[in-house]
Amino acid sequence: MRFRSFHIAALVIAITVVSYAASDVRPPASKDSVRFAVIGDSGTGDRAEYEVARQLSDSAQVFPFEFVIMLGDNIYGSERPQDFQKKFELPYKTLLDLNIPFYAALGNHDDPNQRYYKPFNMGGQRFYSFQRTDTRFFVLDSNYMDKDQQAWLEKELSNSTSKWKIAYFHHPLYSSGATHGSEVDLRTIVEPLFIKYGVSVVFAGHEHFYERIKPQKGIAYFTSGGAAKLRDGDLQNTGLTAKGFDTEQSFMLVELDGDVMHFQTLSRRGARVDAGDVHRVIREGTQ
Amino acid sequence: MRILCAACLVTLSAVLISADHRQGQQPVNPAGAAALEFHNRVQAYLAIHHAAEGKVPNLGNTSDPAKISEREAALGLAIQALRPGAKAGDVFAPEEQPYLIKIVRDDFAKRSAKARKALIQELPKNLKVDVNMVYPTSLPLETFPGRLLRLLPDLPPELEYRIVGHHLLLRDVKANLIVDIIRDVVPTIPS
Repeated sequence: MRFRSFHIAALVIAITVVSYAASDVRPPASKDSVRFAVIGDSGTGDRAEYEVARQLSDSAQVFPFEFVIMLGDNIYGSERPQDFQKKFELPYKTLLDLNIPFYAALGNHDDPNQRYYKPFNMGGQRFYSFQRTDTRFFVLDSNYMDKDQQAWLEKELSNSTSKWKIAYFHHPLYSSGATHGSEVDLRTIVEPLFIKYGVSVVFAGHEHFYERIKPQKGIAYFTSGGAAKLRDGDLQNTGLTAKGFDTEQSFMLVELDGDVMHFQTLSRRGARVDAGDVHRVIREGTQ
Repeated sequence: MRILCAACLVTLSAVLISADHRQGQQPVNPAGAAALEFHNRVQAYLAIHHAAEGKVPNLGNTSDPAKISEREAALGLAIQALRPGAKAGDVFAPEEQPYLIKIVRDDFAKRSAKARKALIQELPKNLKVDVNMVYPTSLPLETFPGRLLRLLPDLPPELEYRIVGHHLLLRDVKANLIVDIIRDVVPTIPS
């Protein structure tokens, strides 16, 4: 019995060591940059969510991020108080205890009344925007793109003179996923606005994998919907993919440094599966 | 001159009275009348929604998710109590339904089988939905296609359209309540 306990303890230590050793997180390039993490489709409450959340917390020691953006499907299944605890508050406890704010978008598995849940920082709105230094984030409800939301988006985009304009929401406008694929309907409505008003980067979830799309009309598109769920092998060869990763859960770390956005994508086990730079779009209306 | 003016006034009055009379009997554009009826019924539902909201505590931002779910359930119960005999067609006015059905079917006809399937794939088959029923809280809401939404009549923020299976739903967003249904709107996807 003692022998068995010893082996279990050794195994736990070994797994922990491997886990830390495998973490390929790069530190930020600049100390004055805007830094945030990206998680999508996270709210399962299962082991995968907790392991990704632990990687995320660990990565904050190397790459101190100021906030986390959530790309929807924040709480899967029932939404009782204990579900909020199990599927959000406990896995991200370390970050919440550090007062790192989360800014959520609604996914198709989310009750729109999540907008009233304070830790999601939605201010009671299905769609909203917020500012971080010279960056404006536009958070959309892609489940229900009605005329009100379109009008709001156009007004917010046209009023913003921020250097960086970043949009995020649940459904990807471009995707190589076999299960869902590109949201063409939504694309025809919002992409012309993104182009017109100089949105540089768009993040989405919904697909349970990571995909960096080849730039489309000057915009960098990322799908990062694998912070808990995984659709192993779902990425198809569509010609859209600059980099894809669908064999393990993942999340992203992002840094806005002047006119450059540095990004890195980490797997559930802490391996860096993608990294690179995006240069912001400079159009009329942006600084 | 005075006689001439009086005659003119009489003639003008006769013309106006005749115009008024004709207006009273003027044929009405049926599509417009149907849209107006739907609008009026939406407004009548909103009055119920607001009356129900007056009976439950206000909801602001809260860190306690219990307050959110309790308020949602309480609002749903209050609305159910205010429309106990609610049935399909109460808000989706019967005269408006053919127009709504045509809009949805025409839109779906332009979509590929894959795109149509994607719009209804997340929900279990044979999911039962009914008027005045709470939308199942553990199930996702299918994304409503944005282009179709542009074609349908506008709704106030308290209400939204949803597709469940082959049915078009009107859903109360804050109460998570199914307000009305038009069944078998969405055509079957050819295999």
